[in-house]
Amino acid sequence: MVDIVGFVQANLPIFIKILLFPGLLFIFGFVIFAVWYQRKYLARIMLRMGPVHCGKRLGWLQLVADAMKLLTKELIIPRAANKIVFIVVTFLLPVIPAAMIAVIPFAPGYAIYPASGYSLLLFFAISTLFPVVGILRGWAANNKFTIIGAFRMIYLDIAGEIPVFLASTGVMIWAGTYDLQKIVELQRDMWFVFPQILGFIVFFIGFLGMIEKIPFDIPTAESELVYGPNTEYSGAMFLNMMLSDYANVLAWTLLMITLYFGGYNGPAIFPDPIVNGAFWIIVKLLIAISIIFTIMITYARLRIDQAIRMGWSYLLPLSLLNILLTIILKFFLFGGVA
Amino acid sequence: MSDMMVYRGNPFNEIEELGDGMFRLHMGPQHPISGQGRFIILTDGERVFDIEVDIGYSHRGTEKLLEHRTFIQGIVPVERMVMIDTANILMGYIGAVERILGVEPPPRANYIRTIVMEMNRIISHLYALGLLSESAAWNPAVFLWTTADREPFLDLLEMLTGARWSYSFFVPGGVRADIPRGFKERLLVTLDWFEKRIDVIEEAWIYNELFRMRTEGMGVISRQEAIEWGVAGPNLRASGVAYDTRKNEPYAAYGELDFKMVTHTAGDAYARGWARVEEMRVSVDIIRQAIENMPDGPVRVRVPQRAKPGEALFRVETSRGEMNVYIVSDGKDKPYRVKISPASFRNFLAIEMIPKTQTVLLADAPVLIYSFDPWFLDADR
Repeated sequence: MVDIVGFVQANLPIFIKILLFPGLLFIFGFVIFAVWYQRKYLARIMLRMGPVHCGKRLGWLQLVADAMKLLTKELIIPRAANKIVFIVVTFLLPVIPAAMIAVIPFAPGYAIYPASGYSLLLFFAISTLFPVVGILRGWAANNKFTIIGAFRMIYLDIAGEIPVFLASTGVMIWAGTYDLQKIVELQRDMWFVFPQILGFIVFFIGFLGMIEKIPFDIPTAESELVYGPNTEYSGAMFLNMMLSDYANVLAWTLLMITLYFGGYNGPAIFPDPIVNGAFWIIVKLLIAISIIFTIMITYARLRIDQAIRMGWSYLLPLSLLNILLTIILKFFLFGGVA
Repeated sequence: MSDMMVYRGNPFNEIEELGDGMFRLHMGPQHPISGQGRFIILTDGERVFDIEVDIGYSHRGTEKLLEHRTFIQGIVPVERMVMIDTANILMGYIGAVERILGVEPPPRANYIRTIVMEMNRIISHLYALGLLSESAAWNPAVFLWTTADREPFLDLLEMLTGARWSYSFFVPGGVRADIPRGFKERLLVTLDWFEKRIDVIEEAWIYNELFRMRTEGMGVISRQEAIEWGVAGPNLRASGVAYDTRKNEPYAAYGELDFKMVTHTAGDAYARGWARVEEMRVSVDIIRQAIENMPDGPVRVRVPQRAKPGEALFRVETSRGEMNVYIVSDGKDKPYRVKISPASFRNFLAIEMIPKTQTVLLADAPVLIYSFDPWFLDADR
């Protein structure tokens, strides 16, 4: 008989990481909070109240109520859809951002999978799967709106991912490592956003494209494509799609904080380094999503051709220029020291 | 119009392919932007080759209904044509009825009508701007801002007419009531506040770089095309045609007031949005002049029940453009025939014509459609 209790006890830290923080519970908690926060925050800007009924006063239980409603709804699968792919994709999609979060360090030595010095590369390697599975969900539904949305997603991801990767190459060169843990440690004195300001601008615009929020919510463009690739999904499958969307936002925002804003670094408020690191990374996360939501509400959506032109004609040359500047700065002015 | 009909297939077949990677996308009647109608878009995925506007989902037979009602009973069905713009729509019908009955409203009633119509124009333009912004993905932010800005005007109209919507305030021979005590002061305060709000809308939205990227140079109608296609209202003036029924054939108190006509030379979606913002400024100016120069006297005169046999035509500048109402009477207390030629119908034709003359992408289609401020209930009648 397998000794399950003994196995769990022997590997308790890794189980805590996977199940509690920064694993399952943290991701679910963030999604519930982010949806609530987005509703309240955008509502205030729109001169509305946002949810008020579920939960005592602030409507904080609204998403739980919505989730209950969606879980009890009928699962409608279109007659012309590829049923197996249609269902399997909904369970695959949230896994990809969760796997991306696994390489992010939340405190000194505290990551689910440190990837032995190649965590940044692993992050980008996993992130390339997201559009692949994404096009499957549009194709499987066999609907015009979903297929157009899926193709737009591919266009946008290619135009955004390359500048984002090249911009973070600047960080890699400046830090001299692929290891996110070491990159964070090197930012103890100065955040990389200051020496890498050009790279950060490129990264941030590409990042908005990767998380597919306004002004780059082109795949799900509501006024054109209803809900893009997600149009045909209902009930619990829709819930999974929503989860994957917000987990994707979480993963990319964590990467931005880790690369440019010092990751878990911050003044020592709590004696425990793990609590302290988690505290600072969550504070930075809240500020970052507030900025993302503000951008969502103050700008219009770009057209697909404008977004792609921005990616290939402006972001890509700028990210290459950033790599050149980084090399000049590092090896000729600072003598190769980060 | 003729070659457009070639593409019309089975309207109930959603997954019909046309070969060459072309397919037909049905936006509506259940679609975030469609309203009470349908846009059948021929596309290869991104490029739009043809837009066919499928109207008639909300046809209520208003013209036929009017034949079975007395002149004053006809007010209610006419008003329901455009709920957001009831006063201007109703003015067309009331004006035609007054012509066929041979009565002239008292001057004070004309001024009150002008105030109500211009407030209604502001409300309608705010709604149009909100929808245009939403079509370019402003979540509903600008839409809810403009909706909130309507509220003081709705309150004022409730104070004056007793209803926020569909006031049935104009009757043949004048208006139902005089302005109440305290209305003028409250109106002037609201106008001062609203002028500042127009600046805010302009700054947050009209000058927004991304909005300009989406709308400038998109859906251009030249001056000649605008005249040929019969585009109406602010859309016509945005193409540089100085035609406004309030100026060219004044009715109510417009002939006695001094106001400017808003024109733009670009003729694109941006110019159409800009023209609406500027027209709100002009409306504020008109309301100020009308409330200051209002003459004293009665607001309603007695009118005969029956009309003499004959016919009457009345043109009115609604928020969406010129509307013509034509009434034929055979001497009874009901009209023999009423023909209403609304502005939205002609604007829909322009939406159909634009993809034939220039490149329109799928993402442009909602912006293009809402830059015309279409109203299906208006076109359907």
